[in-house]
Amino acid sequence: MKRLLSVILFAAITLGTSFISLAAGDVITQDSQEKSGQITVDYNAEVSYTVTIPASVTFTDSEKNIERPLEVKDVMMNEGSTLSVNVASLNNYQMRCGEGYIDYKIMMNYATALEENNRNILSVNSGEKSGWAILSFVTDLNKNNAKYAGNYTDTLTFTVVIN
Amino acid sequence: MNWKWEKEEEDSEKKRSVLLLLLILLLLIITIVMLLRRGKPGGNNTEANVPDGNISGGVGLVIDPNAENNPSYDNNNDAEQGVTIAGRKSITIPANKKEVSVDFYNPIENAELYYLTFELRLYNGDEQAYEVLYTSGLVAPGKYINRIKLSRELKKGVYDAVIHVQPYRMDDEKTLTNNADLKISLIVN
Repeated sequence: MKRLLSVILFAAITLGTSFISLAAGDVITQDSQEKSGQITVDYNAEVSYTVTIPASVTFTDSEKNIERPLEVKDVMMNEGSTLSVNVASLNNYQMRCGEGYIDYKIMMNYATALEENNRNILSVNSGEKSGWAILSFVTDLNKNNAKYAGNYTDTLTFTVVIN
Repeated sequence: MNWKWEKEEEDSEKKRSVLLLLLILLLLIITIVMLLRRGKPGGNNTEANVPDGNISGGVGLVIDPNAENNPSYDNNNDAEQGVTIAGRKSITIPANKKEVSVDFYNPIENAELYYLTFELRLYNGDEQAYEVLYTSGLVAPGKYINRIKLSRELKKGVYDAVIHVQPYRMDDEKTLTNNADLKISLIVN
C-alpha cells in the first residue's frame, strides 16, 4: 500500500512540474541572462448577434391592438459600429385577401406610427449587448370592413444590418 | 522480537487502509442515496393542480399526463414566442469554388416552434434585383448547415449579400411567418 501511494505521489509531482514548464513556454534558469519571458494571449471575438422577431399577429373582433417585442441580444460588434433593424411590409401595412384589404398600423414603443416602409425600429451601438422595442399592431376592423370573406394576411420582413 | 513488532506495525497499517476504504465507500453510498432521493416523486413541491381540481400524483421530471390546455389561452399566445435568428456581419469563402463552408444555424430557442430556411442572395447595387446563390431545405432547431454548394463560383472580392431567413411553424401545414434579411459582406478570397 505504501509503495502504491509513493508511486501515485511521484506521478502527481512529475505531472504537475511538467505542466508548469509547458505553461511558461520559455525556460529561465539562474544562468539565463534575460530573467523575464513573454507569451502572447489573444482571442478573436467575431461580430455576431441574435435577433428575435415577432413571428405573427392574429387580429380578432375582440383583439385589435396586439403587442409584440423585438429583441436583439448577445451583440458583439467592432468599436464604433451600429446594428440597425428595419421593418418592411409586403402590402404597405394592409392585410390582403384577393382584391379586399384591411388597413393596420404598427406603433413603435407606444408612440411613433410606422407609416413608411423600411423604417428603422431599433438601433444598438457598439458596447451595448442588447436592445429591444415594443411593437403594437393596431387595426380598426369596424372602420375598414372586410369586403370579402377570407383570410386577410400581410408579411413583414425585418432587415438587420451592421454599419 | 523485532520481527514481531514489524508484523504488528504491518497489521495496523492494513487495518487503517481497510478503514479508510470503508469510509470512502460509505461516503459514496451516502452521496448516491442523496442523488437518487432528489429525483424521487411524491414531494409537495412536485405536485401540480390540474383544471378539474384533482391533484396529480406528482411524477417527477416526466410530463404530467393530467396537464391540459387552458381554454382561455387564445391563439395569439402561441405566436407570442418570436422567432430567434443568429446573425453575423460577414461570411468568408474561397474563390473559384462551388463547395464552401458556412454556418447557417437554427437556434435551440426555436425548439418545437419553428423550422428555418436560408437563402444566400447576391446583390449588385440594385436593392430589388438579386441572384440566388444557395437555398436550403428546412433546418430544425439546434441544427446547422455547414457545407453548401453554390450555384456558381465567385471571383476574389467583397460582395454585398443577404441571408434571407424564412421561418416555418412546426405544424402540419408548415405555415410561413414573418421573415428576416440579414445584410452581410460576402468575402471571397
